[in-house]
Amino acid sequence: MSVLGTSPERSDADAKLRGQAIFGADLSRTGMLWAALARSPVAAGRIRAIDPAPALRGDGVLEVLTSADVPDWRTGVIVSDTPLLAAGSVAYEGEPVAIVVAESRTAAEAGARAVALDIETAEPVSTPEQALEPGARLVHPDWNRFAVAGGEDIGRNGNVVAEVVHDPGDLDEAFAAADIVVEGTYRTPRQYQAHLEPKMALATYESGRFTIEVSHQYPFRLRDRVAQITGVAPSAVRVVGHHIGGGFGAKLDVSLEAFVALLARRFRRPVRMQHTALEERLVAPCRANAIVAVRSAVRRDGTILATDVEIVSDSGAYANNGPALSSIPMFVFGSIYRVGTARIRTRNVYTNTAPTGAYRGVNGPWLVFANERHMDAIADALGRDRRDFRLASLARDGDLMRNGQPLTEASILREAFDRVDELAPWRDIVSRNQAQRGIVSRNQAQRDAGARTSQPAESDADVLRGAGQAAAIWLTNPMPGHATVKLNEDGTATVITSATENGSGAVATGLRQIAAETLGLAADAVTITMPDTDATGYDAGSQGSRTTHVVGRAIADAAADVRTQVLDRASRMLEAAPEDLVITDGVVTVAGVPAASLTLGAVAQAATWSDGPITAGASYVTPTPPHDPACATGMLIKGWPTPTYHLHQAEVSVDTVTGRVTVDRYVVCQEVGRAIHPDAIAGQIQGGVAQGLGFALSERVDLDHGRYVQRTFKAHGLPLAEDVPKVEMIVMEHADPAGPYGAKGAAEPPIVPVAAAVANAVSDAIGVPFDTLPITPEAVLEALEAEPNGETVARAAREPVVNRDGEQERETTGRAS
Amino acid sequence: MLVQPSERDVTIRLVVNDRAHQFDVDAGETLLGALRERLGLTGPKEACYEGECGACTVLVDGGPVASCILAAGSMSGRAVRTVEGLARAAELTTLQQAFVRHAAVQCGYCTPGVLMVLTALLDEVPDPCESDIRRALAGNICRCTGYQQIVEAALDAAASVQP
Repeated sequence: MSVLGTSPERSDADAKLRGQAIFGADLSRTGMLWAALARSPVAAGRIRAIDPAPALRGDGVLEVLTSADVPDWRTGVIVSDTPLLAAGSVAYEGEPVAIVVAESRTAAEAGARAVALDIETAEPVSTPEQALEPGARLVHPDWNRFAVAGGEDIGRNGNVVAEVVHDPGDLDEAFAAADIVVEGTYRTPRQYQAHLEPKMALATYESGRFTIEVSHQYPFRLRDRVAQITGVAPSAVRVVGHHIGGGFGAKLDVSLEAFVALLARRFRRPVRMQHTALEERLVAPCRANAIVAVRSAVRRDGTILATDVEIVSDSGAYANNGPALSSIPMFVFGSIYRVGTARIRTRNVYTNTAPTGAYRGVNGPWLVFANERHMDAIADALGRDRRDFRLASLARDGDLMRNGQPLTEASILREAFDRVDELAPWRDIVSRNQAQRGIVSRNQAQRDAGARTSQPAESDADVLRGAGQAAAIWLTNPMPGHATVKLNEDGTATVITSATENGSGAVATGLRQIAAETLGLAADAVTITMPDTDATGYDAGSQGSRTTHVVGRAIADAAADVRTQVLDRASRMLEAAPEDLVITDGVVTVAGVPAASLTLGAVAQAATWSDGPITAGASYVTPTPPHDPACATGMLIKGWPTPTYHLHQAEVSVDTVTGRVTVDRYVVCQEVGRAIHPDAIAGQIQGGVAQGLGFALSERVDLDHGRYVQRTFKAHGLPLAEDVPKVEMIVMEHADPAGPYGAKGAAEPPIVPVAAAVANAVSDAIGVPFDTLPITPEAVLEALEAEPNGETVARAAREPVVNRDGEQERETTGRAS
Repeated sequence: MLVQPSERDVTIRLVVNDRAHQFDVDAGETLLGALRERLGLTGPKEACYEGECGACTVLVDGGPVASCILAAGSMSGRAVRTVEGLARAAELTTLQQAFVRHAAVQCGYCTPGVLMVLTALLDEVPDPCESDIRRALAGNICRCTGYQQIVEAALDAAASVQP
């Protein structure tokens, strides 16, 4: 019986439920020192002096180090722009300036607070708009001296960290031929990962090598980054991974690890660091805030002739992975819907704010937000039903993405529209919401007229309902993985890999199931190791839903090799041809001869002492899909490998008195290739939607003159148990020939379409476009009040659109009352 | 002669998971810090440090509290239960077993606190409805699961101890 498509217990559940699982933040070592960072209190300024004396007077403080005491070169994932400790100037609030080493955590933290920083503050470049103004102060006047990995031209210029331009050049003609032009500007704030386990690191230094113990999503990148910063060979760094208390992208790059490494070498003692509460908020690599301006040339029949997209995203004070992420718009616009000829320019810019980074779905949630808000705007301008317009505009099999990559399975998205409609029929929802608008409108009219009727107000007379849809095509991260599978002498198997379990269950159950399936074992007969860069082949970490697909494929290949060895040894022992043998539930049997059988343990035992232990290794990396390398300048991500297909449909109620938005029903249709562990996929969908609802409705990460406004955990407005509805799910399977048993990725994308679907639903409900997130009760009330007499509430008219002559014309929406 | 304890150190007596302990704590030391660093109980988690996320929740005299903002020195004479004190030997509690069945554990960092809150709820309200459970979890942030599988596990646990 197959173990795929079942939901066996995850290997870490018992330890996590008993409180026995040791996370990074639980680690301790005999003789351990603690260190803590003094960080810049201002967003921009020049360091005049750093006085360590007050810190050194503290009990147990051993040393205070500044930039003069650490390697003075700048490093980075793509652009080498980041100093280990700030020298000369500071570029964001929270930038490390000095490090205090002490005998205890309290002493280190007190010392860090005591370091006297004399900084001449400068007016920060606070926003991306400011950064792009002519004559704007440069966040890094010496930007031109920073090296770029691989020497790539990524379009850097002053405050522009990276620029990706796709310009086919014939847009003007299309706009001249348009019946209408629809424009929109879509603004989204940062989003904070809010993983519960604070960032930490523990290092030891022995015999010329660093060992870093950590809870990290990408141990091999950490190995390479610590080597880059400390100036040693990567093989001189060993990274050992422990249980991760959430990451969502925040634990993909180096943070405290290089500091503890250098200090462990300096003091020849284990050194430990951990973020304080405030540090967690100040230096989290949030999802970038962004502004997406979209302008479309549209014919009355609904054909989109051309689309012009202008994007600015905020890199913060250092580049991090922003230059790579700037390629992603190329895979959103024109991949889901046919948008005609498209010009897409993305600029990632420096500001004096904390560097942004990777958060689940990276740029996806705001790109899909812009794409789908814009689809609603066009549909409204044309007076078309929004779902019909989407269906008419859907990309088709064989269409090319903007990078020239063929869409081979675009029709899956059309299937998703059908599947969602079977569960939650759009037309029924639209007419029900329309009827409700009538109730609210009558109630409003009575109230406006000051009417006193004997009839009490109808129930929900202040509640407007709306529905929205959003679709996405999301990648499965292709980066390399490796696994060794060994058959143990008791007939169980062990998978040796540095794939990291970031909570999804991809390692704790999915990978084990894939090995079990191939070897004919029960899932609980397969154990899997924790990450250790000394002991395994390279692994590109827990990101972009890659683990099940990439590492799973390596495991399936390695396990198939093990299986071949088993059958070879068993065929000699059973005196039967290998092809006549079957393995079921840990027993090798000659087909049709139940008596002729051996346990896998017996085979393994015999093999170990005759031919040697049975093990096999395999590697996998997803090939880059065919594409046009000349499609754009500055593109670091060239293709969109192993796409998966997503449609979300949200139904909301908006209380016109309180402004509160309630999500009444949320449906996800997601294509996963092959569902290995259905309960884990359900957990990823539910959890991803919850994070997306936070981004859409409640989460706040505001900046004021470069400094974060929200400085406690709760201030971020994270969704609570009472805020998140049960998500209804349709999981579609279209096996990927390269994936293990057809599996693609599943964990990252459920967050991607959420804000778009919800914003479309709220905009539909009250007839005012919400093109800025989050849609808080205050924002809703403001929008309602901006409308004279709340008339628009019932009218559900849209923003006027502008025709090609620049005259305003109001389109009839077809829903006007 | 009687020695006054210094302002810095206080000796407290604490019953933790049914075992009596007596030890000194610093002024300003939290209950969470004492449990983790003096007793080696790392089940209660250090997360927001602000009493806002619930990962550090333990039961004090049966009621859930955020141990990261409680002064250890004020806890003398109290009975504390941590996540380590839930399961007896090999057997997980009914609630913990339901968490396994419903795949309610992902990264697992919020899990100890969530278990303590739900254990207290089920002690007080053996037959909670879904909104009772969601309300009880108002002080526990889970960033992974979206709460649904946790809620279903709690409902299932309640049902499996009902006649």
